[in-house]
Amino acid sequence: MKKTQTKAQANPRPKQPSATGPNAKASTNGAGALANSPSRRNPHGIPDYRLEIPNFRTVEEWINGEFRYSVEGDFSAPAPPLRESKYLTKEKTIELYRYMWLNRKMEQTLENLFKQQKVVGGVYLGLGQEGCSCASAMALRDGDWIGPMIRNQGALLVRGFKSRDIIMQYMAKADAPTGGRDAGSHFGDQREKHVVAPISMLGDLIPVLAGVALGARLQGKSIACLTWVGDGGQSTGPTYEGFNFAAVQKLGVILIVENNLWAYSTPVERQFACKDLADRSIGYGVPGFIVDGTDPNQVYDVTHEAAQRAYAGEGASLIEAKMMRMRGHAMHDAAAYVPKPYVEYWKKRDPILRMEKYLLEKGWLSEEQNKALIDAAQKQIDQDREFADASPFPEGSTAGERVFCDNSVQIPFAYGGPKVQKVEKRKAGSASDVAHFR
Amino acid sequence: MTTYLEAIREGIWEEMERDPAVFCVGEDIGVYGGAFKVTEGFIHHFGSERVIDTPIAESAIVSAAFGASLTGMRPVAEFQFMDFISSAHNQIVNMVAKANYRWGAPAPLVLRGPSGGGVSGGPFHSQNPETYYAHTPGLKVICPATPTDAKGLIKSAIRDNNPCLFFEHKFLYRRVKEELPSGDYTVEIGKARTHREGRDLSVITYAAMVYVAQKAAEILAKEGIEVEIIDLRTVAPLDREAIADTVKKTNRAIILHEDTKTGGLAGEITAVINELAFDDLDAPIARIASLDTPVPFSPPLEKFFLPKVEDVVREARRLRRY
Ligand SMILES: Cc1ncc(C[n+]2csc(CCOP(=O)(O)OP(=O)(O)O)c2C)c(N)n1
Ligand SMILES: [Mg+2]
Repeated sequence: MKKTQTKAQANPRPKQPSATGPNAKASTNGAGALANSPSRRNPHGIPDYRLEIPNFRTVEEWINGEFRYSVEGDFSAPAPPLRESKYLTKEKTIELYRYMWLNRKMEQTLENLFKQQKVVGGVYLGLGQEGCSCASAMALRDGDWIGPMIRNQGALLVRGFKSRDIIMQYMAKADAPTGGRDAGSHFGDQREKHVVAPISMLGDLIPVLAGVALGARLQGKSIACLTWVGDGGQSTGPTYEGFNFAAVQKLGVILIVENNLWAYSTPVERQFACKDLADRSIGYGVPGFIVDGTDPNQVYDVTHEAAQRAYAGEGASLIEAKMMRMRGHAMHDAAAYVPKPYVEYWKKRDPILRMEKYLLEKGWLSEEQNKALIDAAQKQIDQDREFADASPFPEGSTAGERVFCDNSVQIPFAYGGPKVQKVEKRKAGSASDVAHFR
Repeated sequence: MTTYLEAIREGIWEEMERDPAVFCVGEDIGVYGGAFKVTEGFIHHFGSERVIDTPIAESAIVSAAFGASLTGMRPVAEFQFMDFISSAHNQIVNMVAKANYRWGAPAPLVLRGPSGGGVSGGPFHSQNPETYYAHTPGLKVICPATPTDAKGLIKSAIRDNNPCLFFEHKFLYRRVKEELPSGDYTVEIGKARTHREGRDLSVITYAAMVYVAQKAAEILAKEGIEVEIIDLRTVAPLDREAIADTVKKTNRAIILHEDTKTGGLAGEITAVINELAFDDLDAPIARIASLDTPVPFSPPLEKFFLPKVEDVVREARRLRRY
């Protein structure tokens, strides 16, 4: 069924060019031949791993004296299967699937706690984005770092935080990772899990992750530093400053732009003028990719390959993951501004349902095993909720502590300490690249 | 004899020699050696891994320094002019200053650069933005006046486990010089210094204004008014004890700074005196600061804008008579 909800378009955007096929012009952004190379490239030569290219756009209507958003396009297509992963084994796929469930069950519980007014402040959900968060975080190694955003709570679980930690954060409890000093997913761990605590200001993690990679390189180690930014957050200055810094310094920053079509109430059409945000990789001079953010296999593979480039000292990668924010900005927001067909369309592309179908069809999980896995996730979350509910709030009088770090503390090196080449050891007269670590 | 600039340079150099975790990032600091040549020659000695020329991106410079500090490194980031710190304001006050409090991540980094006026730098190359940061919990803010302190404090800042903002005064770079203590010495952050002893009146000040106070003190001495000059050296944390002690001794206080008046540190220092030494006052507290305007460019305008020796002399006489 072809649904066109409005005719009020004077100058509609030209139809999306269809798949450009295997003869498409070569990438202009340095992305060479990759394993699992997609046959599709976008008009700027950016590899596009998606198995379907949704074709619709948000438009503005003036109805009964009010502005509202409407959508144009074809919503009839059935959800495609998942792309086969080059790298995920059966065990790893099931582990990923389990994390996705844990992520969703945890957030459902947070929603309930919010409704019971047991949560302090707002609750943010990554509904429909669990596959992207969990799969990308899983593609890293232990020594790598992440800087998660609000919708990447699944990534925190993958990095080893407990769902209990996150629930306690939302409930502002004394034994939460920040002890009640900051909310929700605003926490991290420098020493073991290598997670940078985000701040609210969007885009600000990107240059920090570049700095982490720089610190690691000064200690002789090429690591991958993964962070995410939204279609809205990527409009900020620090996004450009930070990613350009990473590109110039050839630092292994993997930036996943989670294009979920909305930034609070603002549609992408009001956020940027290009078609694909991955196009910006050309300007930065780094490889760029497009994936279906609701296909965990695509996300895993493209992140895995980006990580391999980071380990090899080949620098940063920009990945645009296209998907949909399936709820309001936060619990308080009913998202009445989102045209219904969007939600219907993307509901069919729920990453968990797609992964479930994939696993069952492949015979990697039986119906019983699947049910047991889901039940176990639920049980885990129920226990965590009870624990968090029963645990105490912090003592108010401790609010003044820990503004500074005592100078008696020995701050450890993440990678054993600096390995600095003595200048005198360099060959006299030797020429090197301007950035000679390239 | 070592200049203020040379002292800072020595301090950073010695710390880089001592500790391989220390490295420099900033704009034009490598082959060029920095806009004011603080890092001249560093790249040839320490290599381009440790003396990193960056894109013109203050937000990224601060953030990258922070990120590197999370791995245990000790970055020293240069702002070409401290005026450009506003381009990184968000990262400093939100990402860096709050990290230890929020998630227990110390940020041992130094953000340094030239501040201050008196050189016809105009509105964007003359400012004293230290107060914004003194107001931010989690930051240490250092404003040295002498070569000895500049060297000792930059070394302490580099060794400190917390983010330190180091405001060099560009007017002093090549104008003040002195014999430095020999060997590896540091100056404690958060401790004021008595620049001149006196019994009649205290001028509490810092950075280039120490020298304005000194000239005033010489004039006043001829009139029999002995001025005590307290050089704060660090404006966050403030040395509250030293402020109280000098007021208890002289019973009269002038607070003098080059930053503009309204909302400036003089107000805060006045409150400290109020809290700790109110009963010791024999006269109201006087504030002398720059005009509440942008820093003007043309020399006569800037001269009018900045606090002057005459201002200190006038206020001292007034308080003395009070
Ligand atoms: C610099 C900055 N400005 C404004 C905000 C307030 N804000 C929080 S989330 C948000 C929308 C973000 O949209 P997007 O980046 O697309 O992420 P999404 O919520 O869709 O995952 C806004 C405007 C902010 N956090 N940071
Ligand atoms: Mg969005």
